[in-house]
Order: sequence, then C-alpha cells, then structure tokens
Amino acid sequence: MPPAGKTRWYPSGLLVLILVLVWLPVRRGLTQEPASWSPGLVRGIQTYCLDCHDATTAEAGLDLTALLQGPPAGRADSLRQVLDALDFREMPPVDAPQPTAAERAEWIQTLRQALQHLAPTVAYPPTPIRRMNRFQYNNAVTDLFELQCVVFTLPERMMRDHSGYFQPQSGRMPDVVTVGSRPLGKSQMIERRLAGVAAFPQDLRAEHGFDNQADHLSLSPLLMEAFLKLGESITQSPDFVPRNVGIWKRFFAPPAGSADTSEVLTGRLRPFLTRAFRRPVDSETLQRYVGYVQGQLAEDVPFPEAMKNVAAAVIASPRFLYLYDRADSGTATGTVDDFELASRLSFFLWGSLPDEQLLELAERQTLSQPHVLREEAVRMLQDRRLKRFCDSFPAQWLQLERIISATPSRELFPDFYYLKYRDSMHMMLEPLLLFETVLIENLPVTHFLDADFSYRSNLLEEAYGELASNPQAVNQPGGQVGPLKFRRVALTDRRTGGLITNAAVMTMTSGTERTKPITRGAWIASVIFNHPPQPPPADVPPLAEHPSGAEQDLTLRERIAAHRQRSDCRGCHEKIDPLGFALENYDVIGRWRDRYENERPVDMSGSLFRQHEFQSVVEFKDALLSEKDRFSRGLAAHLLSFALARKLGAADQAAVDHIVERTAEDGDRLQTMILEVVLSPPFAAKSPGRLDGGGDARFEPAGPQARPSVRQVSPPQTLEQP
Amino acid sequence: MNAWNRRTFLQGLGGAALALPWLESLSLAAPSTTAPTRMAHFYVPIGVVRRGFFPGEADHVIPKGNLGNVMQSLGQQDPNFSVRPLDQLTPTLQPLEAIKHKVTLLTGMDRVFQQGTDVHAQCASCYLSSARPYTVQGTAWPLQRTLDHVVADQIGKATPFATLEFSCNSHRDNKESIYFDNISWYGTGHLAPSIRDPRQMYRRLFSTSEISRYREVTGLVLEDARSLQQQLGSTDRQKFAEYFESIRAIEKQMARLEKMRAELAQTPFEEPTDAYLPRGDYIRLMGDLMVVALQTGLTRVATFMVGPERWDTPYMFDGLFDKPRSHHQMSHNQTREIDDLLKIDRFHMEQFAYLVQRLDAIEEADGTTLLDNTLFTYGSGLGDGSTHQYNDLPIIVAGGGRHVRTGQHLNLPEGTPLANLWLTQAKLLGLPLQEFADSTGTIPDWVVR
Repeated sequence: MPPAGKTRWYPSGLLVLILVLVWLPVRRGLTQEPASWSPGLVRGIQTYCLDCHDATTAEAGLDLTALLQGPPAGRADSLRQVLDALDFREMPPVDAPQPTAAERAEWIQTLRQALQHLAPTVAYPPTPIRRMNRFQYNNAVTDLFELQCVVFTLPERMMRDHSGYFQPQSGRMPDVVTVGSRPLGKSQMIERRLAGVAAFPQDLRAEHGFDNQADHLSLSPLLMEAFLKLGESITQSPDFVPRNVGIWKRFFAPPAGSADTSEVLTGRLRPFLTRAFRRPVDSETLQRYVGYVQGQLAEDVPFPEAMKNVAAAVIASPRFLYLYDRADSGTATGTVDDFELASRLSFFLWGSLPDEQLLELAERQTLSQPHVLREEAVRMLQDRRLKRFCDSFPAQWLQLERIISATPSRELFPDFYYLKYRDSMHMMLEPLLLFETVLIENLPVTHFLDADFSYRSNLLEEAYGELASNPQAVNQPGGQVGPLKFRRVALTDRRTGGLITNAAVMTMTSGTERTKPITRGAWIASVIFNHPPQPPPADVPPLAEHPSGAEQDLTLRERIAAHRQRSDCRGCHEKIDPLGFALENYDVIGRWRDRYENERPVDMSGSLFRQHEFQSVVEFKDALLSEKDRFSRGLAAHLLSFALARKLGAADQAAVDHIVERTAEDGDRLQTMILEVVLSPPFAAKSPGRLDGGGDARFEPAGPQARPSVRQVSPPQTLEQP
Repeated sequence: MNAWNRRTFLQGLGGAALALPWLESLSLAAPSTTAPTRMAHFYVPIGVVRRGFFPGEADHVIPKGNLGNVMQSLGQQDPNFSVRPLDQLTPTLQPLEAIKHKVTLLTGMDRVFQQGTDVHAQCASCYLSSARPYTVQGTAWPLQRTLDHVVADQIGKATPFATLEFSCNSHRDNKESIYFDNISWYGTGHLAPSIRDPRQMYRRLFSTSEISRYREVTGLVLEDARSLQQQLGSTDRQKFAEYFESIRAIEKQMARLEKMRAELAQTPFEEPTDAYLPRGDYIRLMGDLMVVALQTGLTRVATFMVGPERWDTPYMFDGLFDKPRSHHQMSHNQTREIDDLLKIDRFHMEQFAYLVQRLDAIEEADGTTLLDNTLFTYGSGLGDGSTHQYNDLPIIVAGGGRHVRTGQHLNLPEGTPLANLWLTQAKLLGLPLQEFADSTGTIPDWVVR
C-alpha cells in the first residue's frame, strides 16, 4: 500500500486501467450494449446502500462502490445478491430511509436486464466427476441385473408402498393407499433383499441441498474397499439366484454345449457393459472383460461363477461407479453428447441408469432433439421408476429427515407417543403423499402452498384435533404401527392443507418444549423460496426452552425480541421472523392453539416481504399465493439443482426464470415444470474443463489446497502390478 | 445366549497380544534397532469444566448458561511461560495419578475461530488442521489435510494402514453434521470416515481372506480407470485421482497385510459380537483395538474420537447416570449440571488413562514401552463447553518419553497456537516441516535432544 495522501491519484488511475481491461473482453462477447444505470439508480445506490456497503464498512462482505460504474463484469453473483435483497424487500433495513415503490420496481427491472446481458458471458458452474451415492448405486445395480428385490434397505427411501398405489401412467392416485414409514415404522425396514450385503454409509444431504451434490461425493480408500466388497457380496449373495435375477438366462446361465465361448461371451458382455457404463463399449475394453472370464473358465471356474465374478468387477469399475461428463465429446460450445444426456435424464427422474430405449436414441443421436427429449421425459414421468424420484427429491427438498429425530417432550405432549411409537411415523408420510399426488395427477404446484385435500390416517386425523378434515369422526381406532392406511380427505378449513402447515413440518421445526419461529422462518425461506438465511453468528446463544422467571409472562415473540438486540442480527431476522411467527398458531406437534400456556393470545400477524399484511394463517396463505411465482421460482431452482447435482450459479438464473414463465403459462403444473427443467439450456450444458493433451497427469498433486506439499506421490508403476 | 464379553476379548489381548512384537521384519520399514515412533489422538468433545481440569482455576466463576458469545475464559490465566513439575493433579486429572510421570500437561494454547460456521463444527473438524483463518478457498471451514494424514504421508507408507480412524459415536441417527463427527480429513471437504463398530474395525485389521480376489478385480478395473482418465477434463482428472489413490491404498494394504497374516493369525483374538456394550466397555474395546494396531505395526497413526461434538440426541453413560444424557445440552447448564459434567470429564479421563496404561504395559523389542514411543494426545477443541472458547485448551500429551521431557506442566505464553504442538509432533515424527497450519513455532523446553 502506498502511503496515504502521497500518491493518491496513482491507485485510482490504476483502477480505471483495470476496469478498462476487464471491460474489453466482456464487451466483445456481447451482441448488444450492456444495460447502463439510470441516474436514479446511481443516486439510489449512493443514498440507500453505501452507508453499510462501501469499501470500509462492506457489511455482509458486500462493497457496492464498484456498482456505481455500471453493471460489474464477472460479478453476476453479487449483482444477483443485490437484486434479491431488493426484490425480497430485505434492503434497505426497516429502520432506514426507503425508496418509493416505483423506484424500487425500476431498479429491480434494470438489474434484471443487466443480469440478462451478463448471462452469456458467465459460464455454467461445472458439475465435478462424482461417485454414485448409495441410493443411485442401489437403483443402478437393481436395474442392471433386473433384480426382483432390493439390494439393501435404505431408510432414506422414506415411504414404502404396500398397496401398489404408485401408478403414474394412470394419472390418478387411489383414494385409499397403504404405506409404511421405513425410518420410523414397525418392521418397515424388513423387505425382500439380497442377504449378506452390507450397505455403505448413507450419503448426507448437503446443507440446503441434496445428497447427490457432486462436491460431497468423493471416494476414500475405505469406501473403495466397501465398493469392492459390496460388488462381490451382491453376486455372492445366497439370494442372487435365477428367480431373483431377471437377466440370469441372458447373462449368467451356461450356454448350450456347442456354442463358441468367445462368441457367447462377447455377445453377452457387450450389452451388459453398454448398459453398466451408459455408453457403447470399445473393443479393447470388451476384450479385456472377455479375457478375464476366459481365464476363469480355463481355471475350471463354473460358467455362472465366472460370470458372477466379472459382474462384480464391472460394478466396481469407475465407468460404472462414477458419473461424469467427458471432455472429449459433445460440442465445442459445451453441450453434452446424447449418451451423457441419457444419463442426466435417467439419474434425474429414475435415480439410475438409462434404459435400453434411451441408449438406443442416444446411439441414433436423436435424443437431443427437443421433441424427442420431451417425449422421452414424458414417457419417464409415466413409468413406475419415477418412484425413485419421489423417494429422493421431495424428502430432501423438504428436509424431512429432520422429523426422524424430533422428540417433543413426553410430559408436555404425551399424545405424540403411542404404543412404543411416535405420531411422526404418520406425519412424515402426509407431505410425501401430497407431493406424489401433485406429480402423478399433474396438479398446479400451488397445491404445495394451499391444498383442498390431503391423505391422512385415522391416527393423523386424531392428532390434528380441530384441524381434522372431519373433527366429528376422529375417534376411530387408528394406532397402526406397520403398514398404515391413508385416505384422501377433502379439506374445507384453510388453516390446514398444503405443505407448510403440515404436522410434520410444524413438529420438525419445533424444539422439545416450545415452537421455534425462527427455525420455521428459516425453513420457509430455504425450502419454499430457496432463499436460505445466512447461518447465525456462532457467538449468539440460542433461546432457552424454558422461559426464565422474568420471562414467564411474555409471549414467545416478546422473548425473542428481548433476546435479539444486536443490530447485526436484525437484518436476517426481519426477513425470516415474520415467516415463522405466521405459524405460531401451530404448537410443537402441529395442533391449533389460540393461546400460549400462560394464556397470552398468540399474535401471528406480520407482513410477507414487507408488502402483504396478514392477520391470520389464511391471510398468510393468501399472501403466499399472491407471491406464487416466487415459490415457483424456488421450486424450479431446487429441481434444477437436484437434476444437475450442483449448486446453481448466476448463469442458471435466466433458465430458472424461463422455466417459471413456461410453467405459469401451463397453469403451474408440476410435470410441466419438470419438463421445462429437462428442456432448459443448463440441463444440456457441461463445462468439464480442458482436456489436457498427452502427459500422464494422474498422480499430479491436486493443487495446494487439496494436498500439502509434504505429500509424496508414488510413481504409477506400483499400480500396474496385478 | 452369547457368552462373549469384552473380558474374553481382553484375555486374548492380555495373553498373546501383549507378547506381540512390532512386526518389523515383516513390514516394509527399514530395519532399525529402535522402536518406531507412533502418534495417536484422543479427542474429547464439548470442552471440559475448567474448574475441575485446570490447575489454579478451582475457584474460578462457573459459567452460567450458554455463553456462546463470550468465546474466552471467564477467569484469568497466567499469560507467561512456565514449567512446573506435574505433581498435584486436579480432580479431573486424578485418573492419571499412577502414570503422571509419563505425562505432559500443556495449558495456554489457543486456536482462532473463523466466523461463519457453527462453533462446534469447526472446533472438532479443524482441531487437527486449524489453517490460518480465511486462507482456504471455497469452504466455510479453515480445514486442510489434517495432521494425522500429513504425518502418515511420511511415516505411513510402510504399514498396512497409513492411518486408522476410530470413533465412539454410538448414535444411529445421521441427524447432525459430518463436521461435528470427524476430526480426521484427507483435505478440505473430504473426510476420512471413522469406524464406530468394533466388529467392523476388527475385520478391517485382521481379515485377509479376500486379498487375491481383490487383486484380480482391481487389475481389471484399473484399465477402465486409465482409459476413462484420458477422457476427463483437467479439473475432473484431479478429483478422479482419488480413485487411483483408493485402489493403490488398498493394494498396498493388501500386500502388507498378507505379509503379516501368518503372524497375526497366531493371536487368538476373538471377533467382537454385536452385543450391547456399556459405554465404558465400548470405548475401551475400541481403544484396545487401537493399541494393538499401534503395537503390531498395522499403523503408526491413529485418531480416536471418544464422542461426537454437539449431538443433541442423548446417549447412555452407563454407570454414571440412570438415563441417557446429552453431553452438549448439559454443557450449556454448568451451574446446574456441574457435578454431572465433572463426572463425564472424569469418565473420559479414565478411558484415556486406561489406554495410557495399556500402552505402557507393552514392552517393545528395545526394552522401552509402547507408550515411550507414542505421542498420545488428549485434547478438546473447546476450552469450555459453555463459553465455547477456542483459547486455553485442555491438552495432555501422554508418552513420547523417548523424545520429550515428561512429568511436567507447561504453561505456554499467551497466544500460543495449538498448531505449535502439532508442528512439534510432526517434527518429532521426522517430518521436515517449518510450519503447520497457523503455527508460529514449536513448544519450548519440552523436546529432549
């Protein structure tokens, strides 16, 4: 740093130079002139933003001085942050001077345009190579061998279908379904499976994300060992027999006596490897696997055993285990090839390998034609394998695993516990059934905010008390613990219905003794609007479960207000608190209450995005519905992130906007939204990085942050020894 | 009914295993006359009750409630460097009485919290790395390759397992973050998964039946890996290197295990059953497995988490309390729970002391004990579970007598980074490092030269 005052002109001159240099390539890349700021916006930034966001204050890490110059190249993500803060009415803070509504609207419009102009210069974030997670692995192995049972039981597949209700091709959910909760129900983890196969550890959901997120899925030696053992234990399982293995005759059964072994093996292994590796197999690879089997046969290993051994090897191959985009295929503009597209599609909607039809269309290079792609996606949405999508996306989107560890106080909520079980077993299935119904029946996504029906068991109806669909009829026997019967019920009371006010969501966002409005608000911000708050500063203690002596007579809202006096906490809380307080009429286990235990009335009033005042939950729901495009945008972004196995970046935002527009044009239907995700540009885009020519880089250190310099890497020869 | 219990397992260990040598002739290590130095870390979650642990703090104020925003000691610590004999032990340290002459108490060491994550998540996951704040890109944690792996990169090449990761987190829910549950990381965002199940650990250490089949399979799929690699972009190629490394690690481990198999087969270790073990027995059984791995040369580097950070789900501390308790929630209520918290601190120290004594009971070929050749560190990422302070951490190094002066209490000067201890240990293990993480130097007046 030069001494202050002495050469002041110099760095600012340098800055101008840098700005010019930065601008040049960007401007070349654009077909139109970028949007420039109106004088009003420049003045607005000076008046309303720079007090807290200039170079010295830079609150939330944002220095907006550079923004005065016009749309900042290469900073689309920051621009998005500013746009969202304005759009969600988070900024300026409540107690600061405010722009007029017209000013705000104009700025939002300008910033949107600027972002659209920047979009072509911003690359899609890459999805790194990643291993399958255990859910995908399970499905892929099941499909590859056409198994008639599961490989191992996964509690993350939360809802079990006992009555064969899941028939997407029918376009209709039955009025009565029998379902079970794998994680919480009695004996619901017991199902037909391959004996002797041990699951590897569950892949955890990324924060505000999904368990397929690429950066989370790495391979340690321990896990590699588990994969090797797993492949072997699958084919060696006592249940790996013709009855359970659909491809037995085509693959494992000994050929007729006279057949030429080499021909038989080639004929069997080619389609098997193509399916397992999701693209045609080259002859060298094919010969290697054929040779392996021939070697085994030469050692008098029986034919089916030799085939089992090769099958175990195939499912340990990185070409099976890893999901990746090749750097040497597709187009120069960063589009996937047809085989990669087939895999994206099938892992998105089926959590598994592409089927033969998808691979055939890829082979003919027609899959990437939009009408074919659409037809295929429609076909896949009608296929029962869609259950895999329903077994992964909704529970993770809703963060429903949190209900599993919710344990309300037994003293305060004894009704939550029955027999040896908990009501949450029933609760967790309600939102999942709503999701499946909206998907199968292709209903508007607004049903997630406010629905006039639900699926409920007798026990759940009873648990809801006055929120039951028919409060007069709740006293039916209903304490089931294994398979549970759920009925479709009409809801006329708008205090209930939709995802947000579900007993499951209300319970999992509560503490053991009291509701947690901030947790609920954060849930709505993250799940419903895909706009998660920053994590709280570590040095702020949570509010105690019990009110202290002095707090006995306060409402929860008053306690929290007294609790958060720090100014740096307010920004976030102004955003999430009203969302959470809106649900204060629902107690720790989702029942209605008008008053707290201390007899103070519940005050749930507030405003949504500082725009829509509400005095009741029904008004809150109306406010949400009036902002349904924001919800739609959140859901579309969640879907796209799940489909691409990565976080979204600035470049994806235009696609999300487009998906929402197209979905709205078709009545906000969920299937339409999914089709639009499949047809969106990022779904077909890839940025796998440069393909390095020549040189064996495989043992090069992965960069300073991945490996400290002391790590010494052995030469590759050690690997070549068999 | 299965008559198996921990005691029969220990009879196996106590009998044959105690006589087991460092299987040097069979390992790939260069032959030497002195026993090799090992490193092990015993991690205690959620800090300690300071009054019970730290000399001179018995009368300090008891933190009231969750003082999450304090993040420093409520009482005054001596800011100056001092070396005193370790004679009078504080109540929490009492279980070490019989072995205190082989122990070093280190007080006054600090870490730096990087704003932006949960305190507990960072305190465990970054305990063994503690990079300078904000130097690691793309992550909320100052987390790099942890000390155990950095050390094993150098000294773990000749053993079947470069490192072993033990955890006594018996929770079956996956409710909490991985950052609460792992102190050992291959690198940023890439955790080294620990084994929590004694049976699984047993099989990992002693089962060798699948070796030849692995060989054939790995030989086959490695060709796929090589051709696949040619088709990947440069960034993916770096990540995909993990596949080769994984296979290579397994290959090497197989080769070494195979060489040790005959020797290990003579030890009558029984495979643990899946019967429920009271918490103390469970911890000691996992510890026994760690001791035997260090003893025989299955590895030279181990980490051992005695429990996870911040899990709010309670579990049983058998023998201490009648009901399952959540250590984390208790820690936020020291005024009411102090007696019970002291029991937990003492309980953890008893397990540590047990393992220290186990290490000291094993004589090595050169007449020293395994403890003399092991730097076995007890520590927590928090100085106190209520204040959530990252400074004045509770650290004890047992053993290492061949290298360091033991039986002392070193109080380090104000602001000494914990990484100085890690740097010192890395150097003692032969690494030519000048710095590690945010270190500023080494521990003075400790190393014998």
